[in-house]
Amino acid sequence: MAKFITIGERIHCISPVIREAMNTQNPEPILKRAKEQIDAGATYLDVNIGPAESNGVELMQWAVKLLQENFDNVPLALDTANRKAIEAGIQVYNRAKGKPIVNSADAGDRIENIDLAAANDAIVIALCSKAGVPADNDERMAYCQELLERGMEHGMEPTDMLFDPLFLVIKGMQDKQMDVLEAIKMLTDMGLRTTGGLSNVSNGMPKHIRPIMDSAMVAMAMMNGLSSAIVNPCDLRLMETIKSFDIIKDNDLYADSYLEI
Amino acid sequence: MALKGLDIFKLTPKTNCKECGNPTCMAFAMKVAQGAIPLEKCPHMGADVIAKLSEATAPPMKVIEVGAGNNAHKLGGETVLFRHEKTLVNKNLFATKLCSCMDDAKIDELLAGVKHVDYERIGERMYCEFLSLDYADNGVDKYVALVKKAMEADRALILNVECPECAKAALEVCKDAKPILNGANASNYEEMNKVATEAGVVLGVKGANLSELFDTVTALEAAGNKNLILDVTGATIKETFANAVQVRRSCLKENNRTFGYPSIVNLTKLCAGDERMQSALASVFTLKYGSIIVMDSMSYAQALPLYGLRQNIFTDPQKPMKVAPGIYPMNGADENAPCMITVDFALTYFVVSGEVERSQKPINFLITDAGGYSVLTAWAAGKLSASSIAKFFEEQDIAGKIKNRTLIIPGKVAVLKGEIEDKLPGWNIVVGTNEAIQIPKFLKDANF
Amino acid sequence: MPFTNKPQVFNAKINTVELGVGDKKIAIGGENVLPFYTFDAPIENLPKIGVEISDAGVENEVEGIKAFYEGCNTVAERAKKAATMPGADFLAIRFESADPNGENTSVEDCVKVAKEVAEATDMPLVFMGCKNVEKDAQIFTAVADALQGKNILVLSAREEDYKTVAASAGLAYGQKVGAESAVDINLAKQLNVLITQLGVASANVVMNLGSAAAGYGYEYVASTMDRVKAAALSQNDAMLQMPVVTPVSTETWSVKESMASEEDMPEWGSRETRGVDMEVVTAAACLASGSNAVILRHPQSVETISKLIKELA
Repeated sequence: MAKFITIGERIHCISPVIREAMNTQNPEPILKRAKEQIDAGATYLDVNIGPAESNGVELMQWAVKLLQENFDNVPLALDTANRKAIEAGIQVYNRAKGKPIVNSADAGDRIENIDLAAANDAIVIALCSKAGVPADNDERMAYCQELLERGMEHGMEPTDMLFDPLFLVIKGMQDKQMDVLEAIKMLTDMGLRTTGGLSNVSNGMPKHIRPIMDSAMVAMAMMNGLSSAIVNPCDLRLMETIKSFDIIKDNDLYADSYLEI
Repeated sequence: MALKGLDIFKLTPKTNCKECGNPTCMAFAMKVAQGAIPLEKCPHMGADVIAKLSEATAPPMKVIEVGAGNNAHKLGGETVLFRHEKTLVNKNLFATKLCSCMDDAKIDELLAGVKHVDYERIGERMYCEFLSLDYADNGVDKYVALVKKAMEADRALILNVECPECAKAALEVCKDAKPILNGANASNYEEMNKVATEAGVVLGVKGANLSELFDTVTALEAAGNKNLILDVTGATIKETFANAVQVRRSCLKENNRTFGYPSIVNLTKLCAGDERMQSALASVFTLKYGSIIVMDSMSYAQALPLYGLRQNIFTDPQKPMKVAPGIYPMNGADENAPCMITVDFALTYFVVSGEVERSQKPINFLITDAGGYSVLTAWAAGKLSASSIAKFFEEQDIAGKIKNRTLIIPGKVAVLKGEIEDKLPGWNIVVGTNEAIQIPKFLKDANF
Repeated sequence: MPFTNKPQVFNAKINTVELGVGDKKIAIGGENVLPFYTFDAPIENLPKIGVEISDAGVENEVEGIKAFYEGCNTVAERAKKAATMPGADFLAIRFESADPNGENTSVEDCVKVAKEVAEATDMPLVFMGCKNVEKDAQIFTAVADALQGKNILVLSAREEDYKTVAASAGLAYGQKVGAESAVDINLAKQLNVLITQLGVASANVVMNLGSAAAGYGYEYVASTMDRVKAAALSQNDAMLQMPVVTPVSTETWSVKESMASEEDMPEWGSRETRGVDMEVVTAAACLASGSNAVILRHPQSVETISKLIKELA
């Protein structure tokens, strides 16, 4: 089995520092956060430039080049609602360390992002939802089928699709957590790869609780086959849990210093 | 298979009709893949689809049986590319080449060589299992005579004949011995198939390249013959290696059943006469997917490392190799030589006996039954203890057979000294070295 | 229907490590496919062959080896001669006589020999010890110092002495370091972690994963190498992407098949042929399992394995 893939979520325009840096195209804060995440063990970095309706193309190309040139072609997930910006980002993207990820498509009006990924030999995150949260796993799997068929019609390898069952916030949807885990198992049993925004689980919880809750969730989800997640790699407890799990699952060869590498 | 659930899903009607009791076709496919429900639960699946799927769940590489009686062998049936993934099932076998172009003296010499190298190593008979008989287009009678001569050697046979008439004549003589008829190619496969099927023998298939081989096998399978072996020997060494790897990999990784057969690698076509190079290549193809390796001959010099290597590679990773318990006198030891005991784990035996040999001191080397574990593991598992050693001494009547009363025990189980002294009164228990490499010095310095 | 190979090309590759300087400089590693899988992708650097030369002389060797070195009286002279051996890419000088339980040759004398060898030949040089941890650490440190600028490889840094060996040879004197792990895959990785944590660049590290003669537990070697290459290539494990250097001759010439005299084992035939075949079969297996370089002793083995590499590449 391949090692668990962590997608670092901290370059996100919802953060005021990053939003400001993107507005002024100031590299420093972005490079700083990128370095922190890579040092902490992130495989991919998510680059969320926001809706960026007017300057998306230029901004995404700038961000992709900035990050890849400074960090040995670190692989990236291109995250925006602006489809043209994603395409533009892929044009300047270097694949030496892995294909770009399109973040994201769903079974609703973002389904065309699958076509985009297929046309550009990219990986796509496919949200098992149409509008809002799916009611149950039957609905999730129906969306999954729709997304999968779309991808295969356009010639994608099923393994180039990362299915996102939608992690749900515990404070409010505690009774739905086992559904999400079951969905991961079902997707995995079908031979599909999975991902998701893990931090959503602990949203709204006190700061010192979040690493504990996220770690427990990631371990349970990995047990069910979760193959990647969008996470905060600077959460040490979470990363230690993931690394330990990769050892137990025989995804990574054990060495006494495994936590340090 | 990673995409098995998905493969089944592709064959479902994808209507989510729920008649099978599942909410979606995908959920159904997933449960079928797990073996939770039978495929037939879906009322909309055709018989052809069911047939296709049941074949898809059978193991990709077939087991092919060749030879008869003492010379019956199984080939193929592998499920993994590397031994650490699971275990390799059927070891590769070796063949010595004879040819209808050779004179009797040459053939006799080669047959004598085949007879000469026949020994046992850790419970396994080591010998050249096959004779590979080449036809040099010099008359059917000559070939039949060669086959008759080879029949007397008590080995399984490979008939390298591409001429159907000649094959037929040869099989009339030897078909009961179940030889491999290695002679089908793109142009003669229909006739050869008939000859092989009538005689009830395995058919070897060749191709100018992998595509041609693939097509010929496809055609033979369509004609109903799935009792095949693939001769992957190419024009060059490089091509042959590429063929052997791709055939096995495409079968096991891509589920390409057309290539789901054992292979023949004929080194006599790649480096005839170069014995050292044949040794090197036989080693490579033992690791990388040759099922039968044909050589000009198999001398002791070649057999010792090659059969040792094969024995290593084809051991079950879960089951250690064991040496038979007993007394192994070394360096001319008689009843007056001291005893040295260790476990029956083959690797321990080889390493320790090698060092004892190097010391040139006469030693009665004792191997006790310890479940095939190494010294410390056996001790921890209770399989090497004072009582197990005492029991071994009694069963083998060591005290009756050996007069010397010194017993050297492994340094790693020095703690057993006192208990052994209690169980074996009259014996002088000496703690040996921790590591085998220290043995020669230890034995040279000591005086027993 | 044409058969199409589905190439197994990985997004990761084995590190390239250079040994030696000048015209004879060699590079090992660099491939992103399994050993000799040239049908998946071209292999950047062919596996290389080193000739083992012991400082203990050739008195106990078989006739073919004695004959090859006839007239050579010193290690340097034998090194010069070995450099002419067809198929040889580098020389591996082994300080067998430095063993404190044996002749106990001094560190100073080892350095002297190393310097003489370096003057006598421009081949890349590898230095092997006497298996005594303390003594080896001293020898490697001193030789690495004395031959600064020659880009030598010291075999090996072990769990017990890696701090001394890697810090001196790898860091202070800019040489290449071999991490020796005796067929223990977790230790192999851990040693690479520890050595790189000391500050030695991973491009200056090779692995000696250990070896065994064919028939003597070679399955552990094969599985260790298979798993190391799988982790390096399919899991992109940077701590296992160092190329593998395998001393073959030291194992194969000490087993019964190569040692037993013809008087003791008349049915086995020529001892020399047995020794060569044991060396050839083991070396070929190591290369097929993933060694990027093998160290051999007999000229005929070197010739055969060199031919094998050329044919397969």
